[in-house]
Amino acid sequence: MGQLVRRPEGLIGVVILTIFFVLAVVPVLFVGPLQTAVTATGSRLEAPSAAHIFGTDELGRDMLNLTVHGARISLSIGLLATFVTVALGVVVGIVAGFVGGFADSGLMRVTDFFLVIPTFVLALILTPIIQDVVGSAATEVFGIRMSLVVIIFVIGITSWSSTARIIRSQTLSLRERAFVDRARVVGSSNGHIMRRHILPNVINLIVANAVLTFAGAVLLETTLSFVGLGDPFQPSWGQTLEAARAVGAPGLGDWWYFGPPGVCIILVVLAFTLVGNALDDILNPKRRERR
Amino acid sequence: MKVGYLGRRLASAFVTILLIALINFLLFRAMPGSPERILMRNTPNVTEEMKQAARVRWGLDKPVFPDQLIAYFQSTARGDLGFSFAARGAPVLDVISARIWPTIILFGLGELLAIIGGLALGAYTGWKRGGWVDQVGNGVSLVLYATPYFLLGMAFLLIFGLALRWFPTYGMLTAGAQYHSIWDRAADFGSHLVLPLVVVAIGLIGQYAIIMRSSIIETLSEEYVTTARAMGLRDSRVLRHHALPNALLPTVSLIAINLGYIVAGAITLEVVFNWPGLGTLTVEALTARDYPVLQGVFLLLCVSVVLANLAADLVYAMLDPRVRT
Repeated sequence: MGQLVRRPEGLIGVVILTIFFVLAVVPVLFVGPLQTAVTATGSRLEAPSAAHIFGTDELGRDMLNLTVHGARISLSIGLLATFVTVALGVVVGIVAGFVGGFADSGLMRVTDFFLVIPTFVLALILTPIIQDVVGSAATEVFGIRMSLVVIIFVIGITSWSSTARIIRSQTLSLRERAFVDRARVVGSSNGHIMRRHILPNVINLIVANAVLTFAGAVLLETTLSFVGLGDPFQPSWGQTLEAARAVGAPGLGDWWYFGPPGVCIILVVLAFTLVGNALDDILNPKRRERR
Repeated sequence: MKVGYLGRRLASAFVTILLIALINFLLFRAMPGSPERILMRNTPNVTEEMKQAARVRWGLDKPVFPDQLIAYFQSTARGDLGFSFAARGAPVLDVISARIWPTIILFGLGELLAIIGGLALGAYTGWKRGGWVDQVGNGVSLVLYATPYFLLGMAFLLIFGLALRWFPTYGMLTAGAQYHSIWDRAADFGSHLVLPLVVVAIGLIGQYAIIMRSSIIETLSEEYVTTARAMGLRDSRVLRHHALPNALLPTVSLIAINLGYIVAGAITLEVVFNWPGLGTLTVEALTARDYPVLQGVFLLLCVSVVLANLAADLVYAMLDPRVRT
């Protein structure tokens, strides 16, 4: 962390992310509860004014309110999707790298398949079908609506392959180290060695990878919401952008409708990329020379 | 050796395509409601006899495995992708082929512009590392990486379409326009093309520039470049004849890998500009839950990405004998 904030690009990233995470944790503190068509405080598509500094949407909802609450929704989906992605990738990577042989070649064939298939296209066809199967009714899991839970899992199962590749190659080199041999000599099982000896040694790599995965997850969620797979009752930034496009905001000149959520997406993805690259530089000395 | 490499690549691409088709088959089976019910979802008062007739007609009375699976592979190989729910039962292949050209023109041209611009920019910034073009370029590439295509599209539409009124912002041709000649038509098409085309090119240019830059920097530390310099060759000659040809190699595979990202950009960007290509078709199909069309698009896009990767591998192997193992 100390090394991270000493790099200018790392510091900028950390500051931006801190601000957005505070907004995401306690949005009510800043802008009150999420406005709905019923509780909207303005009229249709008002331009920014003193009362609504970011203007209003077509339902008269305050854009500042929507944008701040959007941070909570977008970042929650991003965080959970990152968790699913990284967990899958780490398990596949460690097992493939450590067990080797048939398990390795089998798992890597699957990984290669997911690497070559365009993530977004696969997510695009999986999401509506799974949403139809589970029924995107009003059921909620931990306060997240079902259709968004589906998006989280779809992002997870479509994005894990590059993490698995990275973790596997690191595991391959760890496997040959003396401490692994020693653990084996004292009779530790494979599962124990993977959990207690391999996993702690790839944690750094996992963290750096998770940060970059987060950026990708936020972008993927935004794009899926933009093509109409999000949930209007829990508007993420992507969902708000979709609504803005649907009413033709860019063509009407209503820049305030898509400007605030758009800028937020760019800032968050940019910040994650900056932090991720900085972490990569710190943890991976080989990369440093090249830049 | 060479035949072995080629054979392995071809076999792996073939297996991948089979897997994609298999996923497509399984997805349709995973949907809620029996298939005959989905097929006849707009038919009122369905009797048991009608259901049975539909089952026989569509081969649903046979077991899923192997009969239905084999029948699916056979018809897919023939180009029969089923019928659209939304477009009054038109064959999916017809629906897709009517929309494919606008996408190929827009993204083919955009990719071409981005490759030329990106490689030139990357070569220059890598050569003059740390110069002002390099620093500005790096910052801009980073911001563009974080910007979804459609957002860039919306901003351009607002600025150049609405505020400055330089270009039309909706569709591919002016609705209801009468053209005196083919040139009028082409001019109208061209003016509609400019904005989305510029967005595609700008969105892609950064990635090519970044990879070309690091590739040039890596090449410059090679011994043959040092040798060329030691021989007293002029800088421009070292760049053009020694560094560039070698640095171009990694960009070959990037172009193929990029196709997957372009696809995502294509879908969202076309929606912003109402460009009548595969992207708007996909979103229309999503909204109407027109699964046969969605699956057709999925198959088409995935197979093109796999083939593009295959082509890139083969071109790479031709250019660089070191990978042919």
